[in-house]
Amino acid sequence: MIHMNDVMKVYDNGAIALNHINVDIKKGEFVFLVGPSGAGKSTFIKMLFREVLPSSGILTVNGRDIIHMSNRDVPFLRRSLGVIFQDYRLLPDKTVYENIAFAMQVIEAPRRMMQRNVNNVLDIVGLRDKYKCFPNQLSGGEQQRVAIARAIVNNPAIVIADEPTGNLDPETSWGIMDIFKSINASGTTIVMATHDKTIVDAMQKRVIAIENGEIVRDEARGGYGYEH
Amino acid sequence: MNINTVEYFVREVMHSLKRNNWMSVASIGTVAVSLFIFGMFLMLVMNMNKMVDTMESQVQIKVYLEDDFSREDAKDLEKELKQMQGVEKVTFVTKEEAMEKFKERLGDQKTLLDALDETNPLPDSFEVMVLQPEMVKTAAENIEKFEGVDSAKYGQDVMEHLFDITRLIRIFGFALMMVLALATLFIISNTIRLTVFARRKEIAIMKYVGATDWFIRWPFVLEGIVMGFLGSIIASVVLRLTYSGITAKIYDTLAFFPLIPEEPFLTYVTLIVVIGGMIMGAIGSTVSIKRFLKV
Ligand SMILES: Nc1ncnc2c1ncn2[C@@H]1O[C@H](COP(=O)(O)OP(=O)(O)OP(=O)(O)O)[C@@H](O)[C@H]1O
Ligand SMILES: [Mg+2]
Repeated sequence: MIHMNDVMKVYDNGAIALNHINVDIKKGEFVFLVGPSGAGKSTFIKMLFREVLPSSGILTVNGRDIIHMSNRDVPFLRRSLGVIFQDYRLLPDKTVYENIAFAMQVIEAPRRMMQRNVNNVLDIVGLRDKYKCFPNQLSGGEQQRVAIARAIVNNPAIVIADEPTGNLDPETSWGIMDIFKSINASGTTIVMATHDKTIVDAMQKRVIAIENGEIVRDEARGGYGYEH
Repeated sequence: MNINTVEYFVREVMHSLKRNNWMSVASIGTVAVSLFIFGMFLMLVMNMNKMVDTMESQVQIKVYLEDDFSREDAKDLEKELKQMQGVEKVTFVTKEEAMEKFKERLGDQKTLLDALDETNPLPDSFEVMVLQPEMVKTAAENIEKFEGVDSAKYGQDVMEHLFDITRLIRIFGFALMMVLALATLFIISNTIRLTVFARRKEIAIMKYVGATDWFIRWPFVLEGIVMGFLGSIIASVVLRLTYSGITAKIYDTLAFFPLIPEEPFLTYVTLIVVIGGMIMGAIGSTVSIKRFLKV
């Protein structure tokens, strides 16, 4: 699904965010990216949906060559991915239903499919009865669940999340993790950057630790490994 | 593009026009004013062209005879005129015939002539057709030397003036239209830029979920076209009213002044103005998207 071979990222200002990255992630895996602030986790995540272009190396996602891909193909790469952020990024003037349907609308999905898929993902994230609400009428956890619903409504092969529980309290975070677990159980690959030690320790999934732009640990069933 | 998408675009455009209320109104207003002035110049130039054409086709000299010149002498003069070089045809017009023609041209305003109390101030005359326009001037000069000829008139000097004026109007109009077009493009692209700015979050999300660049651009281009269209409709309506008004005024005062009839002329002008407005809208928004929307 994801293949990195000696990937390096140097930002325009000369900062080396990632160096000598070698990673293989297979279909159906659940992967945590951990590491101190500034380690390069977000850079790693952003390269996967080509928000950031690697400076050198080989990077393929869903069989697509990210580095040599033309700009015209980027939208089609992204349709095979679901992206989730710490700050939810919902549209405030659209309802829950509209926010989710928006992701299908802009890739010109047929309308028959739209209603079915949106209702389906509303069930998965447990927000069917709030479909008419606007984001400011929801709690943080609920907003993040809407964002997750939007990310999975087009049935992506990989879900990528950058600190999805970063703004949430522990209990709400567990609700989010339960949703990730069930998405993962249906065969979707998940890559998630996080600072949440409790979650990583409890889940016992694959952990990739990055420090100063390099991978320092890659365990199939690991814990967070840091004290904070 | 499926129906669903078209519907979505239409909704987005309406939404955006409402959101940028005042800027939209300002843009549409600017387009309307620009296109109105453009339309006025267009109609002016076309009317002047028509005037020049009608005058050019009349390579005819009007020979007015002195009042006391008898009809018999006129017969002799007609023979002499016919023998002149370059003269194609000579027609005698009695003062009575001239009056009849004049009444015909006046049409509804015949009553104006009541003031004359049945007297006829028009002289007898000849209409002399010349073979080539270049001969008109010398022929007229020669004819004026004949006995009994009061004056020989032709449209040459009027035509030359008309040419000069038309040329001036064309140059001035063209320069003005360029300035107006630039101003219009500027304000449309500014409005679109505001729209892009207002929707930057939405655009970012569209990109994350895999919308193509063109899908993102289309609503903005459409918004520009709609603004151009609405502006041009306003301009067209005002242009039509103005032209009808002027035509009516001129028929009232200068019955025989040859303005181009309203139809189908106004239909063509409307078409040009509307298409022009939509093109300006499309260009204005495309320029703005190129610069402000890095998709
Ligand atoms: N757009 C950018 N331009 C220049 N340097 C950048 C840019 N984005 C990130 N960096 C640098 O790259 C390095 C890695 O940043 P990154 O955001 O990937 O870290 P992170 O692991 O996500 O940190 P955090 O846990 O705080 O989110 C940092 O040193 C950062 O300063
Ligand atoms: Mg980060």
